[in-house]
Amino acid sequence: MLLQLNNIFKWVTTGGQRIFLLKDINLEVEEGEFISIMGPSGSGKSTLLNVIGMLDTFDEGEYNFMDESVHSLKEKHRSNLYKQYIGFVFQSYHLLDELTVKENLEMPLIYKKIKGSERKAMVADMLDRFNIVGKKDLFPAQLSGGQQQLVGVARALISNPKLILADEPTGNLNSKQGEEIMELFKQLNREGVTIIQVTHSEKNAEYGSRIINLLDGRMV
Amino acid sequence: MFFNNLKVAWRSILKNKLFSFINVIGLSIGLCSSIVIGAIVYFDFSFDTFHKDGDRIYRVTTLFESGENEFSNRGVSVPLMKEFKNGISGVEVSAPFMSTYFSTIENKAQDLVFRNENNGILADGAYFEIFDYNWLAGDNQTALSEPAQVVLTKIKAEKYFPHKNVNEVIGQTLVYNDSVNVKVMGVVDDLKQNSDLRFTEFMSLSSAKMFGESDFTTSDAWNGTSSGDQLFFKISEGASVPNIQSRLDELAKEHKNREPWAVNDERWFRIQPFSEIHFGGKHGDYPFNNSNHVANMKVLKSLAFIALFLLLLGCANFINLNSAQALTRAKEIGIRKTLGSSKKQVVRQFFGETFILTLLATVLSLVMAPFLLRQFKDFLPSGIDLSVLYSAEGIFGILLLMLLVCLLSGFYPAFVLSKFKPVSVLKGQFSKGDKGVRLRKTLTVFQFVVAQVFVIATFLVAKQLHFLMQKDMGMKTEAVAYVNLPWNDRSQIKKERVFNQIKNIKGLSQVSWGDNPPASNNMSSTILSYYKDGNETHQEAQILTGDISYLKTYGIPLIAGRERLNDSIDEYVVNETFARAIGFQNPEEVVGTSVKLDTVKIAIVGVMKDFNQRSLRSEIRPLAVRGHYSRGFDGIHFDLGNNPERWTQIVDEVEEVLVSVYPDEELEVRFMDETVKGFYRQEKSAVQLLKWATGLAILISCLGLMGLVVYTTERRVKEIGVRKVLGANLAQLNILLCKEFLILVGVAFAIAVPISWYLVQEWIESFAYKTELSWWVFLTSGIGMAVVALLVTGARTYKTANINPIESLRNE
Ligand SMILES: Nc1ncnc2c1ncn2[C@@H]1O[C@H](COP(=O)(O)OP(=O)(O)O)[C@@H](O)[C@H]1O
Ligand SMILES: [Mg+2]
Repeated sequence: MLLQLNNIFKWVTTGGQRIFLLKDINLEVEEGEFISIMGPSGSGKSTLLNVIGMLDTFDEGEYNFMDESVHSLKEKHRSNLYKQYIGFVFQSYHLLDELTVKENLEMPLIYKKIKGSERKAMVADMLDRFNIVGKKDLFPAQLSGGQQQLVGVARALISNPKLILADEPTGNLNSKQGEEIMELFKQLNREGVTIIQVTHSEKNAEYGSRIINLLDGRMV
Repeated sequence: MFFNNLKVAWRSILKNKLFSFINVIGLSIGLCSSIVIGAIVYFDFSFDTFHKDGDRIYRVTTLFESGENEFSNRGVSVPLMKEFKNGISGVEVSAPFMSTYFSTIENKAQDLVFRNENNGILADGAYFEIFDYNWLAGDNQTALSEPAQVVLTKIKAEKYFPHKNVNEVIGQTLVYNDSVNVKVMGVVDDLKQNSDLRFTEFMSLSSAKMFGESDFTTSDAWNGTSSGDQLFFKISEGASVPNIQSRLDELAKEHKNREPWAVNDERWFRIQPFSEIHFGGKHGDYPFNNSNHVANMKVLKSLAFIALFLLLLGCANFINLNSAQALTRAKEIGIRKTLGSSKKQVVRQFFGETFILTLLATVLSLVMAPFLLRQFKDFLPSGIDLSVLYSAEGIFGILLLMLLVCLLSGFYPAFVLSKFKPVSVLKGQFSKGDKGVRLRKTLTVFQFVVAQVFVIATFLVAKQLHFLMQKDMGMKTEAVAYVNLPWNDRSQIKKERVFNQIKNIKGLSQVSWGDNPPASNNMSSTILSYYKDGNETHQEAQILTGDISYLKTYGIPLIAGRERLNDSIDEYVVNETFARAIGFQNPEEVVGTSVKLDTVKIAIVGVMKDFNQRSLRSEIRPLAVRGHYSRGFDGIHFDLGNNPERWTQIVDEVEEVLVSVYPDEELEVRFMDETVKGFYRQEKSAVQLLKWATGLAILISCLGLMGLVVYTTERRVKEIGVRKVLGANLAQLNILLCKEFLILVGVAFAIAVPISWYLVQEWIESFAYKTELSWWVFLTSGIGMAVVALLVTGARTYKTANINPIESLRNE
């Protein structure tokens, strides 16, 4: 088992009143799964994804990730954990504007303190695998949205994560570009990468092996 | 329209509170320094500007050339006054006057006695023809025409004749110096405007003999020059100064000193415009004997530069922050333009904002100005205040300054921002590539160069000052003190009584007679002759007078020969430099030789170790110690002994002795170490001033930096979020954010080092003894600056780096 959420609650307090963002979430994810989270806008999809990605905290419940209990870990330890095992893909790509494609790919490796020669090999490998060798010296602004998201996925994948979290990865893309990204996810999943994606599109959700529906912070 | 502009501007200022605040503070510091320094500079340029035809008034001074040396004297030899009175072509009026001093003044009618009145001169009616005084009683035709007549200023008249009005004072008699009956002939109003003519009592020049001065109508002393003997004149309209100068050159040649020892000496008369007197001319002389302030052009220029740089720093801040905001503002401008606003209107709006901020800054700076001025009180001439700011000139100056600041700071934002093309801005194309980056970096580097130069200069000037203060001068300066006895009281008995009573004070280890202390600013010098290879040669030497234990009191050791036999014998103890100057490498050899002073042969009996007889600005000069001249010594020098706990007690006892013997005099015990410190008052002021300038420069620059950091980090929160998600830790993010600023500080440091090195080098040139311009001073200053910059940026970047990425990356 890759991760397990038990009775997760998350709330914010405004004006003395608790507003629940997540209510009693129970979820088990096995290695190799491809899960799609769906639900109306504001239902807590991103919040859940952020909790899973350890970017956000929760107020009640247990979260175990690869036999580590995340809720009792220190901040530093937690960030080491996600640095090592989790890759993120965003709706608006969030590539670093002033870095080239190649440098964008290299960034997570630098933060993981991987040696220069090894980094080069890994970047070259990834460029090759995604068929973007020709674009390696371009800046994000010089790429189409689909290409940018391709780089975004490549960047999430470069440090060999076990889990990829993607928050509406195709939200800013046209349907053809979106399809390509979904095909890519499917292939990655076949190669053993666990994927959790948030999507609004029924069609994209079908790529996954399991669909989780959220409504007002609760799984339905 | 105008008010509408201001209203909109005001709202936009409120919208960006932090930036507006930084802008106002930065500008107001610059403005405040400019205003205060402006007032200081204006003060020195406002002296004696009120005399009618002031540009036709000149003074004759004297320049001596002796070999390589030049000395100047603000006075002239007395017979020159007669030459001028007899008429020099091109001279309309000549006003000679002599400074004098009155030991007592009695108003017998009211039974009042006044002592030691300074600021008196011997003058004639011409003085009042040249200089503009307002006569309250009497007139300058008759007032000083006869001997024993005096004109008083109002303040003096009120002092000598309390409760009497000026008309009653006229015709009254005062008894000067116990015996001279003088009639008061006039009262003039005190000079209300700034003036170097600080004279308050004008005795008729024809009474010179009665007051122990020489009568210029009969004097033939062409070779005596006293700084108190002044000669002013007014040239006729259209007359040429060079013609008068050549006449003066003729006179100087005609009356050259024919003494054999003066064969290499030249004396010239020089013409000095009245307006130059306040600035000390070429040699930095005080304007008159009773002046307590001489303006220093170099200092004024440095001050003006400091003000200019602080002002520029403030403006740089302004431009920096506004250009940083350009992106945010671009959208607003784009919208305005699509709504039909013309470029002109946008420019107007931006200038409106600049104007409001400048106005706020000006008000703030006027409030702060008195506080800043107070910081410099210690070394500013008394009489400087900020009232000039509220005069017509002052207000005009401030308005001009505001206009300058408005243009300097407003130009970039107004014209560059207004050029934005609305379409590209609204399409968001503008956000790629920020054109202001280069400019902002340049300005930030400029700010830090200025701040860094100030820091390094302050450090080095302070280091030099410390070096001067603690350097061994070759004599005892601690726990040695001296007192100058009244020079006008010739009673030998009183002097002896003081000396013996001081000698009896318990704990004093040495008591000696002498005149000046071994190191002072008023060292007398003389020309000595000696024979070398059969030729008579001359050597200038400084002369110290003291009894035979004087050197011991100051811990100056003899290294060859012996001490003089008694206190008045014609024998010299010379220093090593003297021995070398007249050709003896080995000091022992000079012992037993002799030199000639005029016609008297004086034996050199001993050699003392070299010590610094002046401030460490100058080298050790040839020096001889001798006994007293005919009338004995004027000072007592003593060692306070080894027990510091007794020192205050001893000084109290010495003062008691002085009061008991000289009840009417205010005599002061002076400490040698204080005297030495006094040499470096100017350097101390420089350090004080630099400290302030440095503090302010750092403050402005850091404010600017803070603004930039806030702006930059705000722009980069998203990027930081991404990097965090990619695994960057806090340290890496902080380094990433600070790096760009630290590089700028580093570049500034690299530029500042040679500049400050050069400036300090120039300054330190004037010292004979220099501290090292050590590399560690530069390095420490640089590191210090980097640390300050790091703190300023770090505070903000830490906050930014800590932002949770889900906040910054939330989908829009
Ligand atoms: N820190 C927060 N404070 C208050 N409300 C929040 C916070 N974060 C999210 N929310 C609210 O929680 C709800 C769920 O947000 P989100 O998870 O982003 O929804 P989704 O991604 O499904 O559209 C939204 O109504 C949002 O406004
Ligand atoms: Mg969402």
